[in-house]
Amino acid sequence: MQRWVFETLLASSAYVIASVLTFEILMPLQNIFFPEYPSHASLLFLPHGVRVLSAWLLGWRSIIALLPGVFLVFAMVGGWDVFLPSRLFAMAIAVATAPIVFYSCKWLGWDLFPNPHQRPCWLCVMGVGIVTSFLVSGLTNLTFGSAAAEYIAFLIGDISGLFFLMLGLYFGFWFFDKRSGLISREE
Amino acid sequence: MTEISKLTELRKLMQSMERTLGLEELSPVERDIYYAAEELSKRNDEVRTFGLIEHTLVQSVSRPTFFRALKSLVQKGYMSQSGSANRGRYIVHGPK
Repeated sequence: MQRWVFETLLASSAYVIASVLTFEILMPLQNIFFPEYPSHASLLFLPHGVRVLSAWLLGWRSIIALLPGVFLVFAMVGGWDVFLPSRLFAMAIAVATAPIVFYSCKWLGWDLFPNPHQRPCWLCVMGVGIVTSFLVSGLTNLTFGSAAAEYIAFLIGDISGLFFLMLGLYFGFWFFDKRSGLISREE
Repeated sequence: MTEISKLTELRKLMQSMERTLGLEELSPVERDIYYAAEELSKRNDEVRTFGLIEHTLVQSVSRPTFFRALKSLVQKGYMSQSGSANRGRYIVHGPK
């Protein structure tokens, strides 16, 4: 139980932080550098990376772990509209699609979940992220009836968001190692 | 899976990314030994050479290559020899 609470706190916090970074820093920058871009969607949507990596690490438990964070972000963006059926459906899509894709791969004989006796495959995780993005973008656009430009923007934002989140984590670990002396010892 | 091992798995994922992007610091054999050592160190504080060489990730590595890579890991600071009297015991460093 304590582990579930910890996972939920961690995954939801990561989702909220990634969303705040996306909406408060990256999107204003996007509006400065691409003012003519017609879509309001982010071209670097970091929360997609949190969804995919949470599903990879936690499996089905990521649905519960992400739900509070996703609800909070939807409430921040849409206010009381968060209780509209379309928003609730969009939230369900946001939290459930990535684990469904990972488990579908597993059932098809391609188990990508962490295994201590196997090297993880980041390109496979990226692949799942891309498939998840197609599904999430398609279903979300169906729910909200958005234009095709939005669909393309969602796809670009999700894929770049996952890649740059992983790159950010890589440099985060590198920085942590350097500070804790792991890298400096070898130099 | 414990929280630490999730962090380890995440770190391993980033390391596989590092390899593709050409940012790697460890050779493939060194990395496999390090992964195996990290996995074994979850059960005990110290990792024994005997257990390490039998790990599924390391089984296909020849003994001379294994010991060369192990020595290199120690030199690079990823592992260190245990202070206890027995030789062939190592402590894995990070993720903390």
